[in-house]
Amino acid sequence: MPDTPADDRHQWAPLVDDLRRRRELALAMGGPDRVQRQRELGKATVRERLDHFVDAGTFVELGQLADSMDPVLAEKGYLAADGCVTGIGEVDGRRVAIAAYDFTVMAGSMGAVNEDKVTRLRELVLRQRVPLVWLLDSAGARVGSGTGSTFAGLGALFREQANLSGVVPQVAAMLGHCAAGTAYIPALADFIPMVKGISSMALAGRHLVKAATGEDVTEEEMGGSEVHTKISGVADLEVEGDLECLDVVKRYLSFFPDNNTSPVPRRETDDPVDRRCEGLYGIVPTAPRRAYDVRKVISEIVDDGDFFEMKPGWARNLVTGLAHVGGDTVGIVANQPMVLGGALDVNAADKAARFIWLCDAFGIPLVYLHDVPGFVVGTVVEQQGIIRHGAKMLYATSEATVPKISVVMRKSYGAGYFVMNGLSYECDYLVAWPTAEIAVMGPDGVVNIAFRKELEAVPEGKERDAKRIELAEMIRANIDPYVAAGHAQVDDVIDPAETRAAIAKGLAISRTKQVFRPWRKHGVLPV
Amino acid sequence: MTEVRAEITANVWQVPAEVGQTIAEGDELVILESMKMEIPVVAPCSGTITAIHVEPDGQVKEGDLVLEIRES
Repeated sequence: MPDTPADDRHQWAPLVDDLRRRRELALAMGGPDRVQRQRELGKATVRERLDHFVDAGTFVELGQLADSMDPVLAEKGYLAADGCVTGIGEVDGRRVAIAAYDFTVMAGSMGAVNEDKVTRLRELVLRQRVPLVWLLDSAGARVGSGTGSTFAGLGALFREQANLSGVVPQVAAMLGHCAAGTAYIPALADFIPMVKGISSMALAGRHLVKAATGEDVTEEEMGGSEVHTKISGVADLEVEGDLECLDVVKRYLSFFPDNNTSPVPRRETDDPVDRRCEGLYGIVPTAPRRAYDVRKVISEIVDDGDFFEMKPGWARNLVTGLAHVGGDTVGIVANQPMVLGGALDVNAADKAARFIWLCDAFGIPLVYLHDVPGFVVGTVVEQQGIIRHGAKMLYATSEATVPKISVVMRKSYGAGYFVMNGLSYECDYLVAWPTAEIAVMGPDGVVNIAFRKELEAVPEGKERDAKRIELAEMIRANIDPYVAAGHAQVDDVIDPAETRAAIAKGLAISRTKQVFRPWRKHGVLPV
Repeated sequence: MTEVRAEITANVWQVPAEVGQTIAEGDELVILESMKMEIPVVAPCSGTITAIHVEPDGQVKEGDLVLEIRES
């Protein structure tokens, strides 16, 4: 290196110093007081979050020197990065685009410049086809600038986000109280973990709600993690702290490809693919009416017992989540006999359909574990629209072209069998345990419907009850996996201990799966 | 006081719990029968049962009060 003449260095020094000072200001966020306040709220700063989330030295920031450039906000002085840090970095060695809102700068509100930054990021995501992660800690739109009818030109962010759906994985980590715009961003993302106690999402913040309806509630009561992971089903997981939440995002992303055309990552394991799952004998009762926890079944079957459950606290009668079998990523859809006897209701169908669409979009094979007495019936569920929700699950399973494997453990009745990927649903491998009961409905139902006249011919009381039992036993004899196997309507009957090996076999024979459909713009989805 | 409500419209099959009984979170208190399945009603918390509002062979609708627990 030639020595730089002292005179040249002297000329450049003020310019370089000015740049360094500007960078320092950007990295100082909203200043010491607001940073202190952020910590008091139990939250890490946006820069600490990025340091924790992104592999060291890999973050390429775009627009660090941005400011609000809004004359109305001139008195506020410089607004660091305009309240949203954007860039592309590596997360566990894979590139991810990140938009991280900074609550210390104007409450992380969405202003014109930071929205331009995020728009640029979405454009890059579309060109580079890498996952997009939002770290949301934002009060929503920056009210004050543009509160008039220039609103008419806004909203492109949601349209672009909708169009990225199923192209790249999208994650919205809820790290603070978010309202309006920053509540729709997660709603349009694939995966939404929420930090307990410090995060919320609602279409309107508490002050607006009070003004609009008179209701007096806290952000937490209205849209906290308790609400969205247990009642509304909008969010996927409740996490203790914001850095833990980022670890959960990393874990989620580890299951996914970069985009819908890149290969699904494998995770190698020492867990033998043909390991016998004899633990299942102790978990699943042979008595068909007895409940058990299907999550124990899943842990027994998958690689290293490692299961990443999604929406564990909502629609608990159906379990969904990601795992590996023989190193391959799989999405698991399992009925949960512990809750509602595993019967499907509107929320379970909703949860399943969304999960199936998620896995299908990114090429992740689906494994269905059946133990379902059917859909819940009656007035309550009809008024909730069980037919359209059930149709949605049928639709999602029908549409999915990824490898689809079914294990019928015990009951699989009626439409419950179809939505859980019955043979006719382009199921690639269907196995049944000796306890499997596949039929249009249970014996009691058949007796009451098909044999009503025979029953009524017998005097009411003991005699009729005896007749009912006799007829039910007759019907029960035909509900037998070996009848289905005899008609080659199941591919095999297996020992429960062979379940893991059977799933691996199913994956092995369906790797080259190709399904062709007639051209259409898109279907008309029941929702 | 914690109220335990029915998750589903069902017949009441068994009521192993008794008023005054000390229970732990997760204990099976009542067993309902619906959709061809035994559906256990489990304790959401530990405590003492202060009231039981169902009896065997009775019926519950979704949301009906099944029993009440004083949390410990």
